[in-house]
Amino acid sequence: MKTSPSAPPAPPKMPTGADKQLLDFALSAELSVHDLYLKAIDSGMLSADEKLVMQMFSDHHKAYAQSLNGLLGKAASNTRNEGLYLTYASQLTSVQAISRVLQSVENTMVATHTDILSSLEGIDGATLVASIITVEARHAAVFGTLPNANLSSALNSAASSLAPNVAPAATTTETTVAP
Amino acid sequence: MNDFNNLTRRELLKISGLSIAGITFLASCGAQSGVVESSNIATAGTVPPTTALGQVVISDTVLLRTAASLEYNAIDTYTQVLDSGLLTGDYVSLKDAVKRFREDHVGHAAAINALVVGYGGKAHECANTRVNNLYIDPALKLITADGNADAARDVVTLAHALENLATQTYQGIVALLTEPRLRGNAMRVGQDEARHAVVLAQVLNPGYSAVGPTTDEATGKAKVASVPSAFGALAVIQISLGAANSEGAKTSLSMETPSLNGLVYDEVSC
Repeated sequence: MKTSPSAPPAPPKMPTGADKQLLDFALSAELSVHDLYLKAIDSGMLSADEKLVMQMFSDHHKAYAQSLNGLLGKAASNTRNEGLYLTYASQLTSVQAISRVLQSVENTMVATHTDILSSLEGIDGATLVASIITVEARHAAVFGTLPNANLSSALNSAASSLAPNVAPAATTTETTVAP
Repeated sequence: MNDFNNLTRRELLKISGLSIAGITFLASCGAQSGVVESSNIATAGTVPPTTALGQVVISDTVLLRTAASLEYNAIDTYTQVLDSGLLTGDYVSLKDAVKRFREDHVGHAAAINALVVGYGGKAHECANTRVNNLYIDPALKLITADGNADAARDVVTLAHALENLATQTYQGIVALLTEPRLRGNAMRVGQDEARHAVVLAQVLNPGYSAVGPTTDEATGKAKVASVPSAFGALAVIQISLGAANSEGAKTSLSMETPSLNGLVYDEVSC
C-alpha cells in the first residue's frame, strides 16, 4: 500500500479555525434539539412508550452536544440556537404534531450536519459528525415507522440545511503592534 | 598446578552448565554447514504459497468505487429476493419496500460512480466479489437450504445486515477520504442506508420498545434495534440464518466492511 505521489496532502486531524465555527454551530443546534425533546416529554401528551423513545433520542442529542463540546474545548460557545428552538417549540401542540415536528427537526439536522461535513477539513470533526448523521437519520426514520409504518415518510426528506456559509479559513496573522 | 584443582564440585558443575548453554546459544545463531536452508524448517506441514498485495494506492476514487460495489451487492441481492419469491407469508407485503430499496441503491450507485468519474476514476458497475463470496453467497445458501422454515424472515435479516454494512462503509470511509466534499456526498448516501435499516429493523422487531437496544432474555443475545447506539457504530455485524440445528441454534455469520483485500482498486474491473 502506498500513497500516490500526486495525492493531496493528508487532511489535518484536529479542527481548523473554520471547522470550529461550523462545529460550534452544530453544537448549538444539538442543544436546541435536546431542549425540544425535553419540551415534548414534559408536555404530558405522550404515552409511556413514546416518552421512552423521546427520552432516548433526547439523551443522544445531549451526547452529541457533549462530544462536540469536547472536541471544541474553549472554542465551544455552549449556548442553544434560539432561532431553531423557537421555530419548532411553538409547533409541539399535539401528539401527532410532536412526531411530525421532531421528524422534521431530525431531517433538518441530517441535512445541516451533512452540509457541515462537506466543509470540514479536520478528520476528528468529520468522523464525529458522520457518526451523528447516521443515527439522526435513524431517528427520523423511526418517526416514519411508528406508530404506523409509512415508507415515504421514513425514507424521504426534503429538509434544508441550516448550516451557515463556510467562513474562509481563519487567518493567524497578527496585527502590527505599535512600538 | 592450575586453579582448576581448587574448584569445588558445585563450582565445576556451574561452569559446565554455563559452557553448554553458551555453546547451544552460539550454535543456534550461526548457519550450519551442509544444511540446506528451507522456508519450512520451523513449520509442521507445508506452507501454501501466498500472493502479496501489490503496490496499490488507496485514493478517494478507490474508496468510492468500493462503496459503489456494495451498492451492486445490494441491488443484486434484492433482485434475487424478488425474482426467487423468497418473501412469503407475512413478508409478502414487503415487496414494495424491497423494490424501493433496490431503486434507491441503483440511484446511489449512479451518484457515487458519477463522483468517481468526476474525480478522474473509472466507474465500477458490479458487485464486490469478496463481499459476495464471504457473506452474501453463504447467507443465501443457508436461507434457501432445505428445511429452513424461516427463509422469508432470514431474507429480511440478511437485508437488514447489508443495509447496516453499507451504512458503516460510508461512515467508515469518511475518515479516509481526503476531499471534504466527498465526505459529505458519501454521508448523503450513507444516511439513506441507515433509514433502510430502520424500516427493516421494525419488521424484524417492531414497536417502540424495540427502537433502542434490548436483549433476548432467553438467549442473552442482543435483539435487532432500530437505533442500536447513540453514535453510528463501526463494528462487526452478526446475524443468524438458516435451519436451526438440533439445539435450536442457527448458523452465525459475521460481516465486516471491506478492508484492504476487499477494496476495489483502480486495477479491478467487472
